[in-house]
Amino acid sequence: MSKITDRYAIVGVGESERSKNSGVTPLHLALDAAKAAISDAGLAAKDIDGFMSYNENDSCTSHQLATNLGVRPKYVKDILGGGSSTELLIADAISLIESGELNTVLIFRSMNGRSGSRMGGGGWDSNMLQQNIDGGSYIIPYGAASPGQWFGLFATRHMYETGITQEHLGHVCVSFYEYAQRNPKAFFHGKPLTIDDYLNTPHLSYPFTKHDFCLESDEANAIIVTTAERARDCKQKPVYVMGMSSRQCHPHSHYWSDLSQVASDYVAPEVYRSAGVKPEDIDVASIYDCFSWVVLRQLEAFGFAPRGEVGDFVAEGNLRIDGKLPTNTAGGMLSEGYTHGMNNVLEIVRQLRHQYGATDRQVNNCEIGISTGWAGPDIAGAMILRN
Amino acid sequence: MTYQKPIPLKNIDNAPYWDAADHHELKLQKCSDCSNYNHPPGPGCAKCGSTNLTWENFGGDVEGKVYSYIISYRPFLPGFQNDIPLVIAQVELDNVKDVRIIANIIDCEAKEVEIGKTVKMVWEDITDDRALPQWKIIE
Repeated sequence: MSKITDRYAIVGVGESERSKNSGVTPLHLALDAAKAAISDAGLAAKDIDGFMSYNENDSCTSHQLATNLGVRPKYVKDILGGGSSTELLIADAISLIESGELNTVLIFRSMNGRSGSRMGGGGWDSNMLQQNIDGGSYIIPYGAASPGQWFGLFATRHMYETGITQEHLGHVCVSFYEYAQRNPKAFFHGKPLTIDDYLNTPHLSYPFTKHDFCLESDEANAIIVTTAERARDCKQKPVYVMGMSSRQCHPHSHYWSDLSQVASDYVAPEVYRSAGVKPEDIDVASIYDCFSWVVLRQLEAFGFAPRGEVGDFVAEGNLRIDGKLPTNTAGGMLSEGYTHGMNNVLEIVRQLRHQYGATDRQVNNCEIGISTGWAGPDIAGAMILRN
Repeated sequence: MTYQKPIPLKNIDNAPYWDAADHHELKLQKCSDCSNYNHPPGPGCAKCGSTNLTWENFGGDVEGKVYSYIISYRPFLPGFQNDIPLVIAQVELDNVKDVRIIANIIDCEAKEVEIGKTVKMVWEDITDDRALPQWKIIE
């Protein structure tokens, strides 16, 4: 166990409306999410003294958000980053609270990910991409410009080595879409997917079909972190941070140079050591799912099934609500919405609070959960939470 | 018609690689201290951090095995609309096992591509003075 185990908690979560065309700026979405999280925690905006966000130059700043909440913040921090930034900023917030700088921190991600700046939507200048991506001249002239293609190179090789099949990728999608049918706010609510539908869908970029790619959405999410002591005065049942491994890296910043390993391989032992638990202790999971295969690769890295058996693990239904590891229980980024991972964190907090009560959305008796973040094979993070 | 796809941009770190490519040759950066190859090249060795780096010329006869690949059925960048399906492969060099180079496999049907297939490096003359290394299946 680490020295922070059970000493900090997530006390509030909230989101804006989710849509494909919000018609408002990311600042408006961020305000809605922040107000929802503050209200969820039973706090007032002035109780928040630190504001943090991550973005891809597609959002508002933490200072703008604080200003429009009528708060003069003591500390603001906006980082460039996608997946795993939620875990990183929660770790940063805990460090700043631990040092006595801050009391309570709000972390948000706000984006018009569909109607505004689209990750995979094209329109990027090819020369800009070459200059800004490490080793860009070795991929962009070949038409490799999308995470779906870059991660696909890892996937094809990994599938070849471990026996994971297209159908196994499909079982990840089908499991998550099933959750979306219980979540009226999920984009794919009312759009169920069967394994036959999946297998009849053509490849967009082999080995991925459109179902293996995450969604794009306009939305904002917010999370509030404070000490366990203050958490006891908040409105909701606190969800405690047991352990973290907030940011680990692949050995090469040009991660395509080695397809055999991913940053999650380094995160996993560290996060379990930090929390003092083992994979078999985990009751519910939020596994970063920008692509279906990314889930399978992380299940291996985080020890939920041995290498070579991960495909069978998902085919047996273990990601479903009655499986061994209910995962991405609001539908995940494949079928609920996409905020670079934060929506999955909101969901696992709600599960650990048992907020869904006696409905079919609640994972029974869950006490310990893991949330993993994946910026890519290059950078990853994770945290283990408990109620 | 002028070349529509992105042309490799030379910079302080990669210029020897792309200059060699323009002459239909492969050059790789090598660390003089730990003897590992450094690809993609940079100012420091990714294995040991040394800045004592040199370039080794492998000439124009380069073969390797497909290590991984993807096949894109829509263009993800402008200029590739006539190249669909586009095969992007990472190839392990026969001479230097720990260097794997990404390029398209040209003149091949999507269904021909498999991990382990032998390919050779060929150079496409894309402008008057630039050439792009590509892979071609030879068995």
